[in-house]
Amino acid sequence: MNAIPQLFFDAMSLGGIYAMAALGIALIFGVMNLVNFAHGEYIAFCVFALIVPSTDAVAVLFLGKAPALLLIPILLALGAAIAVASEFVVFRHMRKATPVAMMISSFALGFVIQNSLLLIYGSRPKAISLWPDLNKPVSVIGASVPLLQIIVILATLVVVVALALLLKKTKIGLEMRAAAENFTMARLLGVRANVVITGAFALSGALAAAVAMIMVTQTGVADIRMGGQIMLVAFIATVIGGLGSLPGAVAAGFLIGAASVILQAFLPLDARPFRDAFLYTFVIVILLVRPQGLFAAHSAKPRV
Amino acid sequence: MSKLGVFDVSVRYGKVPALTDVSLQIEEGERVFISGPNGAGKSSLLKAICGAVPTTHGRIEIGGMLVAGRPPEAIARLGMTMVPEGRDIFGTLTVEENLRVGTGIRRDRDAIESDIDEIYENFPILGERRQANAGALSGGQQQMLAIGRGLMTNPKVMMVDEPSLGLAPNIVDQVYETLIRLQKDRGLTLVIVEQSSARAARVGGRMVLLRGGTVVDEGDAAEFAERDLLKEAYFGQSAEEPA
Amino acid sequence: MQQTHKQKRLSAWSTPILLIAVLLVFVLLIAVLGDNSLARMAAQTMIRVVFVVGLWIFVGNSGVVSFGHVGYMAIGAYCSAWLTLKPQMKGMFLPDLWSFLANAEWPVLPAAIVSGLLAALVALVSGAAILRLTGIAASIATFAFLAIVHTVYSSWEGVTGATSSVVGLTRYADHWVTLGWAVAAILVASIYANSASGLALRATREDEVAASASGIDMYRHRLLALVVSAFFTGVAGALFGHSLGVLNPNSFYLGVTFITLAMLVVGGIGSLTGAVTGVLVLSILIEVLVRMERGVELGGTNLALPAGAQEILIGIVMILVLILRPTGLSGGRELRLRLGGRRPN
Ligand SMILES: Nc1ncnc2c1ncn2[C@@H]1O[C@H](COP(=O)(O)OP(=O)(O)OP(=O)(O)O)[C@@H](O)[C@H]1O
Ligand SMILES: [Mg+2]
Repeated sequence: MNAIPQLFFDAMSLGGIYAMAALGIALIFGVMNLVNFAHGEYIAFCVFALIVPSTDAVAVLFLGKAPALLLIPILLALGAAIAVASEFVVFRHMRKATPVAMMISSFALGFVIQNSLLLIYGSRPKAISLWPDLNKPVSVIGASVPLLQIIVILATLVVVVALALLLKKTKIGLEMRAAAENFTMARLLGVRANVVITGAFALSGALAAAVAMIMVTQTGVADIRMGGQIMLVAFIATVIGGLGSLPGAVAAGFLIGAASVILQAFLPLDARPFRDAFLYTFVIVILLVRPQGLFAAHSAKPRV
Repeated sequence: MSKLGVFDVSVRYGKVPALTDVSLQIEEGERVFISGPNGAGKSSLLKAICGAVPTTHGRIEIGGMLVAGRPPEAIARLGMTMVPEGRDIFGTLTVEENLRVGTGIRRDRDAIESDIDEIYENFPILGERRQANAGALSGGQQQMLAIGRGLMTNPKVMMVDEPSLGLAPNIVDQVYETLIRLQKDRGLTLVIVEQSSARAARVGGRMVLLRGGTVVDEGDAAEFAERDLLKEAYFGQSAEEPA
Repeated sequence: MQQTHKQKRLSAWSTPILLIAVLLVFVLLIAVLGDNSLARMAAQTMIRVVFVVGLWIFVGNSGVVSFGHVGYMAIGAYCSAWLTLKPQMKGMFLPDLWSFLANAEWPVLPAAIVSGLLAALVALVSGAAILRLTGIAASIATFAFLAIVHTVYSSWEGVTGATSSVVGLTRYADHWVTLGWAVAAILVASIYANSASGLALRATREDEVAASASGIDMYRHRLLALVVSAFFTGVAGALFGHSLGVLNPNSFYLGVTFITLAMLVVGGIGSLTGAVTGVLVLSILIEVLVRMERGVELGGTNLALPAGAQEILIGIVMILVLILRPTGLSGGRELRLRLGGRRPN
């Protein structure tokens, strides 16, 4: 029986994607109390940037043709660029707005990005084969695992460790953590609000790009709707993790990944189509038990 | 070059006026106490000077530079720092990280490490707990950390909002001792919100009395202390609470 | 004193009457001057009024943004289909329906009311859980609720037809029927807003902590508002099905959530007038854009907006309103008659 290791790899790789997406959302929330619903569309944007703009059903690789060593940094930069641009165009003008108003405008921004993609690429899902070799199975402790799953798990670890180091060891990281806790006080100490916020958006966008690359390689499709789905799960992970807590977001991402893999494996056949309904119910239950999230941030002080 | 000038400054929160046409000149290296009853506008004055709240009227100059309307991070770069009421320590950061947050604006990078050592000399308890989460410090320790954190920006003017709030008297003495020593060592301009005229007189300096958002009186702290003592003797009012 | 108090109350009652008059004029103008396609647009607009006013009863009074109301709309829409479709049709397309529903052949009005009641019941149960949360966590939970309803209705083959559409609903919901429901929604919304519960709830809108400290049982009032609110969104769902004749779970997801929230925000979350204004303004904008997507002849060439342009423009309008006028077009104020001269300030 290799079912258990198999489940483990499925859970870890799915959880890794959720964790990275959730990190992107938690980072922005921590720094500026913005619940960024546009995050999923950053991911979709990065996916579509891989192919030539056209409404044809067959996707022709565009950026995706570049060798990995070039493609990865370009796409990360592109993700960072759209996130920073959205801050510049929309959120910068809402610094004094309530969190609710910012949340709604991010929802609207997500719709604008999604429909711009729709306008350029059409609504049909397109097949993309980015790095198809990575889906070849390799054998690990008795389980046959696609190479990609292992890469996803490793990539998640690398991203999380790199982010942790960045936040812990660099000057901008320290400033971001200080600003996340008390923005006004950080500014009184000379921390530049614009630099910190732009930095947070850039990191968040780069995380979205990483998620995009992994999702495309794994599923082989570019779909206008993919952003919405991942966004919802990532959101829920951020809330369960305790809004604004980065370790919480990662842990909750893995938790949701594991929960959905386990539900998929053990639910009776009839009930499987309803898996997500069970998942979201489970989420509401968790929120009821611990409204502040499983790993609440130390101080959720409102900004003045 | 760190003369502080406040000219006809007004601040309001929505419709609530907190300061009305306040003017105040503070010389380089001076020590000034701001006093007044609760709600007089003491904190608002400090916040307006360092850009944490917008002014609706008037102008503020630091070393001849106009600052009103600039963001707080720009004002901090002019050598202004504030230790807020309630301290606003970053509880999720370590003690040492708290000290380093404000060092980003310094030009003299080489002096940062020696300054941190100096803070630890002044407040040994902070040195002992440098790797601890600042949220776990006691109130007095947090006050010391907040002062140290402000000093780490290498300021010319330091404003401290009610350093004695919630602290035991012996701790307050210790905090004041250190503040005065640091002022002498560094030639700091010091602005301190202090409700007790007796304590201000003991430390020595000029005193500015605010009430209802305007400056109502100004003079040597010792004179205020005497007057408050007299008042207490005649009317039974506490000298610790100028009314 | 007595007099001015009375005048204030009368003045508050002028709001729904004025709003109803505006809607009546809107529908009358279209019925007299417009063609069939405009009449359909008027019906869609009135359905949105029912929905958005319903949504406002909860969001406007509580200040909690709900992404889940389209879930109640779906519940109402399918319920009315179950109750009114011909039994033979249901036998064919929805074979797993409970026999009472499978044989039901209800008249449309009771079916619409029961659909609203079912949505209200689901709101009572889901809200009892979700409303234990506050602030942003509550909003996210409403999102999870929407996702649950969507998953269930797109997967329950024998009961909802899953992703294949349910067809053959009687298309009775024309502009007059929908106007009737819009009037009812506005009346109930004002009654609720001026009730003790509505007033108490609005007191909690600014500051949850202070309000709960002052002894207001926020949870109860929120739950009540949600139940009333869900009734009308459920009815809006039923009307929606009976205006198009077709139901599909994908009609009840993020797209409608976005458009209806946009209406509420553009009009102004703070007032009932805002909710109605937002619907009218954006519905007219949508109609113009839809026509432009179909194409306009200009100097012999056919210029057409590409698909998706409508959502993009509405999204941009919504963001601009949020940046430039965060309280919406209505500025959070109600349209009302001034009685008894100027009130001293
Ligand atoms: N954030 C705020 N919003 C609204 N009003 C405020 C705010 N902060 C202060 N005020 C009001 O402004 C006035 C001055 O307040 P301020 O905090 O400056 O007084 P203070 O002299 O520091 O008082 P204390 O001795 O209590 O610290 C008070 O009437 C207060 O109620
Ligand atoms: Mg104060």
